[in-house]
Amino acid sequence: MVRHTRREFLKRTAMAGGALAAGPLMSTVPFGIASAQESAAPPVAPGRDGSAPLLQMCIARWKGASAASPDEMKTLATKLTEQAVATLGGMNRFVKRGDVVWVKPNMAWDRAPEFAANTNPDVVATLVRLCLDAGAKAVKVGDKTCNEDKKSYPSSGIEAAVKAAGGEIVYIDDGRFKEMAINGQRLDKWLVYPDIVESDLVINVPIAKHHSISKVTVCMKNYMGVAGGQRGQWHQDLATCLCDITRFMKPRITVVDAIRILTGNGPTGGNIADVKRLDTIAAGTDVVGLEAFGTELLGCRPEESKMVTAAQKAELGQMDYRKSALREIEVA
Amino acid sequence: MNSKRRATLIVWVRRVVQAACLSLFVVLLHAVHVNDSAPPSPWLKFFFDLDPLIPIGTWLSVHSLPSFPWLALITLIATVLLGRVFCGWVCPLGVVHNATSWLRKYVRKTPHPRDNWTRWQRGKYYLLAGLLVMAVFGSHWIGVFDPMSLLFRATAAAVYPGAQYVVEDAATDVYQSDPHVGSLHLKAVTEPVYRFMRDTVFGRKGQTFDGGALILVLFAGIVLLNLYKNRFWCRYVCPLGGLLGVCSPRPVMRLVNTPGCTGCGLCAMKCPAAANPDKPGDWRSTECFGCWNCVATCNKGVIDFKFKSPLPAPSSARLDLSKRALLSAGAGGLAGLVAFRLSPQSQARSYNPVLVRPPGARDERAFLQRCLQCGVCMKACPTNGLQPTLFEAGLEGIWTPVLVSRIGYCEYNCNLCGQVCPTQAIQPLPLGEKQKIKLGLATFDTGRCLPYAYNRECMVCEEHCPTPKKAIYFIIQDLKTRDGETITLKQPYVDPDLCIGCGICEYVCVFKDQAAIRVTSANETRHSGNRPILPGLPGLGPAPAESSPEPAGDPYAQTQSNPYGSR
Repeated sequence: MVRHTRREFLKRTAMAGGALAAGPLMSTVPFGIASAQESAAPPVAPGRDGSAPLLQMCIARWKGASAASPDEMKTLATKLTEQAVATLGGMNRFVKRGDVVWVKPNMAWDRAPEFAANTNPDVVATLVRLCLDAGAKAVKVGDKTCNEDKKSYPSSGIEAAVKAAGGEIVYIDDGRFKEMAINGQRLDKWLVYPDIVESDLVINVPIAKHHSISKVTVCMKNYMGVAGGQRGQWHQDLATCLCDITRFMKPRITVVDAIRILTGNGPTGGNIADVKRLDTIAAGTDVVGLEAFGTELLGCRPEESKMVTAAQKAELGQMDYRKSALREIEVA
Repeated sequence: MNSKRRATLIVWVRRVVQAACLSLFVVLLHAVHVNDSAPPSPWLKFFFDLDPLIPIGTWLSVHSLPSFPWLALITLIATVLLGRVFCGWVCPLGVVHNATSWLRKYVRKTPHPRDNWTRWQRGKYYLLAGLLVMAVFGSHWIGVFDPMSLLFRATAAAVYPGAQYVVEDAATDVYQSDPHVGSLHLKAVTEPVYRFMRDTVFGRKGQTFDGGALILVLFAGIVLLNLYKNRFWCRYVCPLGGLLGVCSPRPVMRLVNTPGCTGCGLCAMKCPAAANPDKPGDWRSTECFGCWNCVATCNKGVIDFKFKSPLPAPSSARLDLSKRALLSAGAGGLAGLVAFRLSPQSQARSYNPVLVRPPGARDERAFLQRCLQCGVCMKACPTNGLQPTLFEAGLEGIWTPVLVSRIGYCEYNCNLCGQVCPTQAIQPLPLGEKQKIKLGLATFDTGRCLPYAYNRECMVCEEHCPTPKKAIYFIIQDLKTRDGETITLKQPYVDPDLCIGCGICEYVCVFKDQAAIRVTSANETRHSGNRPILPGLPGLGPAPAESSPEPAGDPYAQTQSNPYGSR
């Protein structure tokens, strides 16, 4: 039985006060950063496995046996994705029970997965499964493709993988775009696919690729897949337009597929010699940090990338991702 | 069972078979594109394979066939034995005509008079003669009049897209305008119906075809003629009907009149072929469709089909073609061919820049000697890029396929058109080979292209170029602006050794009215005479590792290296 003495009371109060004061000192998030991402993130909850809340980025690298066969690649991709998301706090950090989730991969090109033109299908399928396990009502997957969708969807391997994981494949219907207010610096209104933006959560899953115009295409360019109309015009001021659409989409979670990257002749690829295996997945809430990371993977300096610097200036995130709440893990 | 009851049963069986054949035709039409990644089923060509006019016409013009026409032979044998049962029971166009003729009684107040044979029915034989003479001398207009080709072309280029447009446009209008009463939205009803139609019934995005209106009008005209005379096309025009008629002067199954006929003429009122069932000595076996309407109508039971020896003539009726008219028809066919060949383009004196043919298409002369103008390739093309010509290939090449990159490009990983072509006018090529064929060459219009003419960054074309080493590259230029400043822009160039003319650059170019990069037929692999570029020259870019294959493309080449036959 506790004795209600004055000493006891003072001891208890001191301990409580100490804990309150120590909490912020012990957390890994510096107070200085108040990015747009924090306000967009759902209310903070510690991850199920007790990992630190408000982790902004996780880089997962494969350190297991080298994978070659399709099954080994599938295991690699699945484990990397699972662990990257788990380190961020688990999918529950982003998905509420009953949510309708749209997973937005890059499946724009009529290329098989080995050519690294589209997102790895096993990564997409794993995300679908994680969302469903977190209690999502439905998980939809789709992209406004550049090649014919009836060819791109199956060739990318994503259609089959998503269906096997219990997700819903959606073919974009050109007649169903609606004009929306982007209210950007360059884009005032643009045709956007309502099905996507009306979802409770959009998970952006790009693949890191070489791109002649922007040098590199990672997170922000992948958002073009939600837009219709004459998107070709955007190339006349690509960095600004991509910042506009990224701000419009309010990114909450981005998963960068760098298991295979395309180092040349992007974004269509087609030459297997241009594909490099990095066996890495980077996931996080800071789209600019991930953009910078992807840029580095392709051998470019983020400071030299117009996309990254424009996004930094537009206050969409922090390009120096090492300064943010980052954890790098090894997966086997 | 008396003959009338038996005949009534046979008539009903016939109707079921006809409905099944037309349904099968529609199903096969629908199946042309449904699964783009799997190789197309050989069943797609079923009706073309059944049709004997196609292998005969093709063999006459090129002396080779892709494979032995077994099914066509079966049709011919059946016709020799049973008469024109193909016309009466199987031909899907015939079913359309039959159905329209049946509607006649609702359109015209007067009942159909006794319909006896007239000399006009010889017209189809003369047309057949003209077309066959034309084929002998190397031209292939069979496809313009062949019923399978005609029906497929009309349904694929006009009827099907028209129906799809009506459904989809209406549904999209409702979706976009979103009429609602309170929280009751009309689109909640229309969207599920629309999605079902789009995914299950139509199975692909709606297609549009240049000249679809003309094809529709002609088809509607042909069909509406049934309201004037039953099965007008089948009686007076159809060259396949003529061919089958030529094969059935002495069938084994014959119409026989027994004494007791009162001459009431009911049978002749019901005969769609005007084959004179009411005239015992004058029954026209070459016209009769074997539909059994006459026997089913006869109240006295005095006519019936019986199996008899083929040796004696079935009646005094003869084909009775006037030699003079036949010769004139043949001469007309020849004159038509000469007329086709008067143009410089037909003799390879000039090349039409817009005539970009599908990948695997033979050189123009060989192509036109096989192309049926059927439209299967156009239906199959996943991007809707293959369009029917009007005069771009001359009158001889009317309704043959041309790639219009503004509408649809040639998908890099697709070789469907060659796989579905019934006569291999477009050769079926393995994907790797198809990807090396140049359809043409992309050329920049630097008076429009943004980095050249408007000092703006673009390069959407280069972004989409599908070749493993891109055929569009850029050179970074420093350019002066109007304010005297210097900006740095990427200016695109085409590598003519690598460009395969697929057209995706033109398709995605931001200029949607007239693209700033356009593919013309120059440098096409199939014509050695249309090559501006000396291959493998080190110039602005490094020479490619491999150069494109060299089939002889000369329109007059007799020794073209093609595994499917000579010429």
